Amino acid sequence: MSAVVIVKHLTKRYGQLVAVNDVSFSIEKGEIFGLLGPNGAGKTTTVEMIEGLRKPDSGSIEVCGIDALKEPSKIKEIIGVQLQTTTIYDQIRVREVVELFGGYYQKSLPTNQILEEVYLTDKKDSFVSTLSGGLKQRLAMALALVNDPEVLFLDEPTTGLDPQARRNSWSIVENLKGRGKTIILTTHYMEEAEQLCQRVGIIDQGRIIAMDTPGNLIANSGLESTVEFSCVPEEQDRMLQRLAGIGKISRQENNRFVVHTKEFSRALQELARVSSENDLNLKNITMREATLEDLFLSLTGEKLRD
Amino acid sequence: MKVLLGQIAAETKLFLRRKDDLFWTLAFPVFFMVLYGFIYGDQMWEDYGMRAIDFLLPGVLVMALTVTGIMATAIGFAEEREKGIYRRLSLTPLKRSILIIGQILHRYLVIVVQVILLLLIGILAFEVKIAGNYLLFWLILTFGAMCLLSIGFALTGLIRSARSATPISVSVFFILLFLGGIFIPTNILPVFLARFSNALPTTHLADALRAVIISGSGIGTIWKDLLIVGGWTLACLGLAIRFFRWE
Repeated sequence: MSAVVIVKHLTKRYGQLVAVNDVSFSIEKGEIFGLLGPNGAGKTTTVEMIEGLRKPDSGSIEVCGIDALKEPSKIKEIIGVQLQTTTIYDQIRVREVVELFGGYYQKSLPTNQILEEVYLTDKKDSFVSTLSGGLKQRLAMALALVNDPEVLFLDEPTTGLDPQARRNSWSIVENLKGRGKTIILTTHYMEEAEQLCQRVGIIDQGRIIAMDTPGNLIANSGLESTVEFSCVPEEQDRMLQRLAGIGKISRQENNRFVVHTKEFSRALQELARVSSENDLNLKNITMREATLEDLFLSLTGEKLRD
Repeated sequence: MKVLLGQIAAETKLFLRRKDDLFWTLAFPVFFMVLYGFIYGDQMWEDYGMRAIDFLLPGVLVMALTVTGIMATAIGFAEEREKGIYRRLSLTPLKRSILIIGQILHRYLVIVVQVILLLLIGILAFEVKIAGNYLLFWLILTFGAMCLLSIGFALTGLIRSARSATPISVSVFFILLFLGGIFIPTNILPVFLARFSNALPTTHLADALRAVIISGSGIGTIWKDLLIVGGWTLACLGLAIRFFRWE
């Protein structure tokens, strides 16, 4: 494994505001890395500095061994970028714009192959002006893939899309992952990050405040998962006695009980084993595992702020 | 080179699909020419010793250049800039110089088509004759095209938003045409306006074209006009570079 993107001590100021503050990370070949953060946290500014759209005040960026600050034109040949909103000429056909963009690069993939990859083959003769939001985003993805990039940047690729369109985008990214593409994805949808990213960095107020696999982040976070169930009054005392070893159990209204645990799967197994061994009659079991979203909110603060 | 040709082809394809561009650059000047031709065409303008149509054709040619060089360029650029198209392109290896040269060559191509179209109508329908040298005629038009394009690009730097692009470029368009001796002969203007008019590039373009088309003048007569047009080109090119904005 070798690092394809190495970012060190990246800093960007806008007047008094430090938009990106000493951010460092590296991304391995074939990895899908997610940059998560609330709006205005600095994730877009960070990726735009790597893409060459903005100049950092300090720090270094290396992509495939090339210094991105010294040789931005070389970087442009080997990266692909999908911006948050991509607008392109209206009166142009899907096929034409992909061909036009292909011509900008020293090497480019055949148009048909790219359109197939983003499920736009049957729209190849449509004018861009007639495409829906989801299709426009897929076209933006096609334009990002036109040069078969070493590193693909997806900046909030599914913001504003309906659920179908979102699943479609995910499936495109899953396919790219299968082909070993290195991808940097920014998003504020935690579900998206959990689904797609092998590793995530959580960025808040310009700083990276956590970085690991989504699983490890949750496991090490100390956040509690819960299992909830009902138990008839005559069995409650016996139940509480038998289940005491699982974790903290709290009583709710209507004979409902909640088990709080930091080890979700162990608690579930225990609950199943103990209740069947003791013939406990537990009903309406529901469970809720701590998610990346819980972690995200606990790290970045749940209150709205300016 | 291949990239540049592709860029010109793409710009031209987009142009052919934009009905408003087609209307303003091709239909509008032709309509003007034909309308004026039928109304005044054969009237003899004794004061000038020429037919009305002979006065008007060079004017309509300059108008066509102005539509393409200023209106289409400034409005089109401001719109594409506001949409973020140039920002998206800046992520590709496409050089900005190629993008701009592509636009300029595409506009020049449009101007060539406009001129040929108007000239053919003039020659076939109204018996206009070019008395002077055709090469000199093209030289003036090329000088004019470059001048008006540089004004168009200079305007894009001063225009803040796509919304203001149309009123600003239309105002400039009217000043250049009405005070530039295109429809109104400059010698009927009051003195202070005549002085202003005499500083405009369109006045000198129309003068030079009339001299070559009607009187068959050579470079010896029109070099001063070309010098002034060239001066405008350089000045506006400087402004364009100084105030250029991609986003």
